[in-house]
Amino acid sequence: MSHSVHSHPQLDVQVERKFIPKQKDLGADVTWAKINKDVLKSLEKPRPVFWVIFFSALALFSFGVYCEVYQYQNGMGVADLNNPQVWGLYIATFIFWIGMGHSGTLLSALLHIIHADWRKPIYRYSEAMTTFTLLTAALFVLVHMGRLWQFYYVVAYPNERWTWPNFTSPLVWDATAIGTYLTSSLLFLYMGMIPDLAICRDNARGARRALYRFLSMGWQGTDRQWANFKVAYMTMACFLMPLAVSVHSIVSTDFAVSQNPGWHVTSFPPYFVLGALYSGCSGIITLFIVLRYVFRFEAYMTQPILNKLIKMTFAIAMVWTYLDLIEYATTWYGSDEVAKADLIYRATGDYALQFWGMIFCAMVMPFTLLIRFVRHNYVVLLIISLILNVGMWLERFQIITPTFAKSHYPWTWTAGWWPSWVQWGIVAGSFGWFTMLFMLYCKIFPSVSMYEVKEMVHEQNMEEKALAAQTDVHEAGLVPEMKGGQA
Amino acid sequence: MSLSNLIQNWNSFRTRRPYEGQYDDAPYKWAMVIDLDSCIGCNACTVACYAENNLPVVGKERFGKGQAMHWIRIERYWGEGDTMTSEFPDHGAQYLPMLCQQCEAAPCEPVCPVGATHHSPDGLNTQVYNRCVGSRYCSANCPYKVRYFNWWNYPDRAWPNPLELQLNPDVTVRSKGVMEKCTFCMQRLRAGMDKAKTEGRILADGEVLTACAQACPTSAITFGNLADKKSKVARMWKNQQVDLAKDSQEKSEEGIRGYRILEELNTYPSIVYLERVRNLEA
Amino acid sequence: MTMSNLDRRDFLKVLGISGAAATLAGCGHTSIESGVEEVMSYVHPQDFVVPGIGVFYASTCAQCGSGCGIMGKVREGRVLKLEGNPESGISGGKICGLGQAGVQAHYNPDRLRTPMYKGEGGLTPVSWETAHQILEQRLGPNSPLKGEEIAFLTGGVSGHQRVLLENFLETFDSTHHVTYDALSTATGRAASKAILGAEQPLWNIHKARLILSFGNDFLGSGVSPVYMARQYALFRKAPRGTLIQIEPRMTLTGGNADRWYPIKPGTEGILALGIAHDLLQHEEFSRGVPQEILDLVKNYDRDAVSDITGIGSDAVRLIAAQLWNNTPSLVIAGPSVEGHSYGFSNAAAVQLLNVILGNRGQTMEGQAEHPFPQLTPTLGSYHALADLNQKMAAGKTQALLVYGTNPVFTAPSHLPFAESLSNVPFKVAFVTHMDETAGHCDLVLPLLSALEDFGTHVAEYQPDGVEVMLQQPLMEKLYPESKGYGDILLEILKKRKPEAYAAFPDYYSYLKTAMVKAKPVFKVSDSDDHFWEDALRNGLVKWDGKPTSLEARLPALTMPKPAELTTDYPFYFVPSIRPDMRDGRHAYLPWLQESPETMTTVVWDSWVEIHPKTAEAMQIKEGDILQIQSATGSVRAKAYLFPGIQPDTVSMPLGQGHTQLGRFATGVGVNPYKILDPIFDDHTGELAMHATRVALRKTGEHQVVVKDEGPTTFQNGQKLVATLSADQAKLSKEI
Repeated sequence: MSHSVHSHPQLDVQVERKFIPKQKDLGADVTWAKINKDVLKSLEKPRPVFWVIFFSALALFSFGVYCEVYQYQNGMGVADLNNPQVWGLYIATFIFWIGMGHSGTLLSALLHIIHADWRKPIYRYSEAMTTFTLLTAALFVLVHMGRLWQFYYVVAYPNERWTWPNFTSPLVWDATAIGTYLTSSLLFLYMGMIPDLAICRDNARGARRALYRFLSMGWQGTDRQWANFKVAYMTMACFLMPLAVSVHSIVSTDFAVSQNPGWHVTSFPPYFVLGALYSGCSGIITLFIVLRYVFRFEAYMTQPILNKLIKMTFAIAMVWTYLDLIEYATTWYGSDEVAKADLIYRATGDYALQFWGMIFCAMVMPFTLLIRFVRHNYVVLLIISLILNVGMWLERFQIITPTFAKSHYPWTWTAGWWPSWVQWGIVAGSFGWFTMLFMLYCKIFPSVSMYEVKEMVHEQNMEEKALAAQTDVHEAGLVPEMKGGQA
Repeated sequence: MSLSNLIQNWNSFRTRRPYEGQYDDAPYKWAMVIDLDSCIGCNACTVACYAENNLPVVGKERFGKGQAMHWIRIERYWGEGDTMTSEFPDHGAQYLPMLCQQCEAAPCEPVCPVGATHHSPDGLNTQVYNRCVGSRYCSANCPYKVRYFNWWNYPDRAWPNPLELQLNPDVTVRSKGVMEKCTFCMQRLRAGMDKAKTEGRILADGEVLTACAQACPTSAITFGNLADKKSKVARMWKNQQVDLAKDSQEKSEEGIRGYRILEELNTYPSIVYLERVRNLEA
Repeated sequence: MTMSNLDRRDFLKVLGISGAAATLAGCGHTSIESGVEEVMSYVHPQDFVVPGIGVFYASTCAQCGSGCGIMGKVREGRVLKLEGNPESGISGGKICGLGQAGVQAHYNPDRLRTPMYKGEGGLTPVSWETAHQILEQRLGPNSPLKGEEIAFLTGGVSGHQRVLLENFLETFDSTHHVTYDALSTATGRAASKAILGAEQPLWNIHKARLILSFGNDFLGSGVSPVYMARQYALFRKAPRGTLIQIEPRMTLTGGNADRWYPIKPGTEGILALGIAHDLLQHEEFSRGVPQEILDLVKNYDRDAVSDITGIGSDAVRLIAAQLWNNTPSLVIAGPSVEGHSYGFSNAAAVQLLNVILGNRGQTMEGQAEHPFPQLTPTLGSYHALADLNQKMAAGKTQALLVYGTNPVFTAPSHLPFAESLSNVPFKVAFVTHMDETAGHCDLVLPLLSALEDFGTHVAEYQPDGVEVMLQQPLMEKLYPESKGYGDILLEILKKRKPEAYAAFPDYYSYLKTAMVKAKPVFKVSDSDDHFWEDALRNGLVKWDGKPTSLEARLPALTMPKPAELTTDYPFYFVPSIRPDMRDGRHAYLPWLQESPETMTTVVWDSWVEIHPKTAEAMQIKEGDILQIQSATGSVRAKAYLFPGIQPDTVSMPLGQGHTQLGRFATGVGVNPYKILDPIFDDHTGELAMHATRVALRKTGEHQVVVKDEGPTTFQNGQKLVATLSADQAKLSKEI
C-alpha cells in the first residue's frame, strides 16, 4: 500500500490521498524465468507427500477394481441392490463426479471469455480435474450396468441390423452429452497445454522429451501459431460453455422426466447445474491447497486468487441453496401428495441423518467462508472444502435412495436399505482412481499454465508500469484532476 | 431398415398414445380384468407363473434382500390409509395380485436406453432380453415396481438337477444382468396367434389364456383380446366403463367397480381391477 | 442368453433317447456315456410325439386328498406344467399352487433313487434284488406274521391302492391298516355325523346367502379347496352372499370374509349357543327343537356369551339377525373349533345352528353313495396312531409298513413314535423322499412320483356325483431304480397268493382289469378298451350319484366353559395350517417355500404371530426371537406382529422344521407339533391341537423376518385395493 501526502500551496490545506491498489494476484518476484523453473520442477521432484497420496490412491483404486471384478463375476446382487433400490450409490456417485467436472470448464472457458485473468494459474489443473472426473463418472455408468459387456448398445453406432439406441431415453442423451463433453474437455485441456508442452520439450531429456515433442506438435511460438492458437482456443471456450450447462441439465433429466416423487421437478436442470458448479468449485479449492503444497506452487496459487475462488464458491453455494429450498417449497405447497410424503420422509425417515447432514454440510458450512481466518488458514479451508463436497455427495445420495424407498407404490417401499460393502468399495475406488490419475497428470504435465501466467506477469508488469507512470505524473503535479481542483 | 423407416418410426414417437380407436383395426390388443372380490389371495397364480415362465427360486437370503423374482405377486393390505382403523381387520384382508400392467403409455418404455422394452403391435409391453444392458432405468421409472432384475445368475442355483427338466422350452432362461417381467405369457399368445394365422383366422375368445388366468381357482382373472369387441374382456371393460385411452374414467352411476391402478400417472394400464365388495353391515 | 450350469448333455438325454417306451430311463445318470443307451434324433418319433408341441394328458393330482383332475403338459417326453382338467367336477379346469408344485415333487433333486437298507452304518443303498429278497424273507409266503403283528401305516389312501393294501393285509389275516392324519378332522366329522348324520355333508356354498364359518378354512386348507374356491366365486356373484368368519387366528378364508371376528379359542360352541339363543327367540326357528336344547341354550344369553367369547353382545345379536334375514345359510366348523378337549361338543354346538336354521336340504346335502365303498378314502385320525404306538411300544408289532405319512415328524413329543419304532423288528417305508420316518426304518423303497405312476383315487369330498379319478404316468420314470407302490405290493402278493394275482404282470394290468370289471356300474356300453382309453383320456370315470338327504338329530349336549388362562401359560396356542404346506409333507417344494404365506407373506421360515397390541405391551418387535414354552416343550421363532389374531393368542404355522426331507426343507424353521400338549378330545380321543397354552419369553435375539411385505402394510392413500360396500355394488348388471 502506498500513499503520498500532497500539500496544496494555494489553499494551504493538507490533503492526504490514499492509493489502495488492487492486491496483486502474483507477487512481484515472479518472473518469466522463475515460472519456467518452478513449473518444470513440479515435473521432477515433488514433496514426498506426493508419493503418499499417489500410493494411497492406487491402493484405494485396486480395492475398487477388486470389488468391481467381484460384482462382474457374481452379478449386481453383491451390491445388495434390489427392487426397488435399483441404483444405489452408483448413480448417486455418478452424478457427483459429473458435477465435479463442471467448474473446471467454468474456470477455464467462462472466465477466459470474460477475461478474468486470475484464473490463469489455476485453470489448467481445474481442466484436468474436469477431464478426470468425467472419466470417473463414465466408469460408474459402466459399473452400474447389469450387462457391462454390452455397454456399446447405448452408443449410436452404425451397425448392420440398423438397431439404434432409444433416442427418447435420457440415458442416451446422457451418453451423448457426456461423450461430447469428455471429448471437448480433453481437447480443450490438450490444446491449452500445447505451448507449455513445447517448453517442456525444450527442457526435457530422454523419453519425456520424445513424449513432449510428440504432444507439442511442433509448436515454435511463431506469431502465426499464436494468432491461430488464440482464435481456436477462444472458439473452443465458446463451444464448451453451453455444453457444460447442457450436460448437467441432461443428467438432471434422468430424474426430471421420470414420475417418481422427488424427481419430477421442473427446476431440476438449473438446480443440477448449480450443484455441479458448487461441488466443482469446492473441489478446485481442495486441489488448490493440495497442489500448492505438494508441488510448491506457493508463488502462483496465492491468497488473492484463493479469495476470488472462495467468493465465487460462496456465491454459487447461495444460488444452489436457493434452488434447493425452492424445490422443497414447490413440493410442500404443491398438490402432489406422494412427492410431499417423500419430502417428509427424507427429512424424518430412514435417511434423515443424510438429509440433515447435507443441509449442514452444503447449506450451513459455506457461511464459514465468510470468516477471514477460514479463508487464510489452509488446513481449515481444506477441511471445509472437503465437507462441502461431502454435503454435495449426500445431496446426490438423498435424491436417489429415499425416492426409491418411498415411491408411489407402498408394497415395495423399503425400510433402512443400505448399500453393501461392494458399493462402498467401488465408490472409494473411484476416489482412488481420480486421485491417482490426477496426481499422475500433475507429475507428467505442467499443472500450472506457464505461458498464461507469463501473460499475467506481463500484464501485471504493464499495469505496474502504467500505474507507476500515473503516479509519476501525479507526483509531478501533472495530474489534470488535481489542477481542476483549484478552481 | 431404411431412412424412410427411421422417419416413420420417428413419427410414431411423436404420436401420443393411446388414442381413441387405436386398436379398432388391429387384430389383437391383450388385456385383463381382475376381480378383487373373487380373488382370495391363494397364490395359485403365483406358482403357475413360476411353472410357466421359468422363474427362479432365489432362496431365503436373496428373498430377504428384496431380490425375489415373482412376476405376479399377491399383496396383502390391512387398510386404505396408513394405519389400522380398528383393532382387528374386521372386513378381512385386502388382496391384490400385482403384475405388469402392460401400460399403453408405459413409463418404462421411453427411458430404456437401448429400446429393450417397447410396445408390441398387440398392445404388450415387451422386454427383449438380448437387447437389455441392465441399466434398470425401466424399473426405476415403473410406478408399480413390477419389473424384476436378474441380480445374480439365478440359473446357477435355481434348478439343481433334475429340476431343470421342468423348464419351459418356450421361455428363455434369463442370465444375470437383464430385466424381466410379466409378459402376459407371450409364448402362449405367440403360439396361438401363429396357429390362428396359419388357419386364416384370429384367435377365439378364451382360446389362449395366461398361466395365472388358467390356474385361478376362482376365475378372478379374465384375460382376452380387447380389440375383439365380442370377447369377454372387452365386454367387461365396456360394462365397467373403463376406456383404454382415458386417464380418468367417467362412470354413469355409482357402484361400477372397474378402475385402473395409478391411472392418474397417465400410464393407461391394460389391466382393469374390479373393486372388492364387502358387506360392511355384516 | 446362456443357460449356464444346465448341463447340455442333460438336454440331449431328454431330447433324443432311443427305445420304444423307456425313453427317459437314463435321466440324471450317465447311461449314455456308458453305452447303456444311445442317443438318436427325433427323426422317427413315436406317433403321439411331435417335437416342439406340448400335448396334455389327464391325470389326478396327488398333492392332497381332494382328488382334483389335472392335465400335464408333456413335451419331448417331459412333463412341464400341470393345469386343471376341465372334465373334472372337482377341479373344473382349475388348480391350486400346491397342485402346480406337483412337477417339483416329481423333478425334485432330493428324490430317493435306490432302495436303502439299514446296515451297520445306517441306511445304505442296496439293489432291488436285495430289497426283494429282504421283503420276501420277511413278508413272503413263509412269513410267520399274522394279524396285528403286521401293521400298515398310511396317510389317507383311496382307490385301488387302498384295495391292494387291504388285500395284502388280508393274506396275513390282518385288517391292521392304520390311517394317520396329523391334521385329522375326525372330531369335527364325528360331531357332524352326530348332528347332521353325515361326516362330511356337501355344502352348496353358491346357494348360501350367508356363510357362518367357525374357523373352517375352506378356501385354503379345507377339504377340497379348489372346488370350494370355485363355489365361492359363484357365491360372490349376484346375489352376493355374505361370509362371516369367526376364529382365533385369521385364515385365508377369514381374510376373505365380509366380517371377521377374533374369538377366544375354544369358546366357539358357546358363541354358537348364544346365537342359537337369539335365534330361538323366533318361533319359526324354535319349532321342533327338543326341550333339552332349549334348556341348554337358555343359559347363553348375549351378555354371558360375550363375556366368555370376547365377542361383543351387539355382534352376537348382529350375527343372529343376519342368520335369520339371510336364508338359506350355511354354518361350518373347522380345526379351531374341534381342537379342544370338548371339541366334539364345541363342533356339535356349531352344527346345531344348521339344524335350527333348516339348512339341511338347502345348503347341506349328503354325499352320493359310492358304488364301490372299498375305493373310498380312508380318513386318518390321531388316535389310530396312538393305538399303534402303544402296540409298538408293547412289542406287539413285528412288521410295520409306512406309506404316505410321516409320524416321526408330525407326532407331538408326548407320543414318542421314533422310540417305539425301535421296538419293531422290521419297518418298511414307501417314499419318494427320505423323510424323518423313513430315516428310522430298516428298508426304504423308492417310489415312482405321482406323475410316473398309475393309480385310482376317490376324493373325500365328491361334489358332482361320484368320480373315480385316474392317475396315469405323464412321463417315463426318471430313475430306473424307483418302483410303483402298487407294483411293489403286487409283487409280494403274487408270491403270497399266486392263484389270485399271478395273472397280473404289473399294477397297470391289475388296475385296468379292475376298472374294466366295474364298467357295468358306470353304465358304459363301449368296448372294454374304449372304456379304459376314455377313462384315461378324461382322467376319470363318472357315476351319476344323486346327493342324499341328511337325517338330523339333536342329541343332548353339554358345553363346558373353557378354563381360564393361567399365569404360567398366559397365551392360547394356535397351530395354523398353511394351505401349501399342510402337515409339512410339502416343505421340500421350493416353489411353495418361496411362495409368501398368504396372511403374513413370510417365506422360507417359521414365525410366531402376535397381536400388535399384545406385542406392544410386552415390548416385542417384529423379528425378536421368542421362546414359545408349553408344558410339553419349547421352540424358538421370530415374532411377527399380526392384527388378525385374538390378543390372548399366539399362532405358529405347521409344516416347517424338518430334519430330513431334502435340501429345501431341512433346517427351515421349527416344528411346533413338538410342543403340543397331551390334551385329547373327550369323545373321539383325538389330539386337541388348539388346546395347548404357552408362555412367551424374549431371548433378546433379533433376526430380520424374510417376507414379501415391505415396511408398510397399508395402501397409504393410493387406490390399490378399493372396497365397495355390498349395498352399492351392482353385481347383477355385471358381466
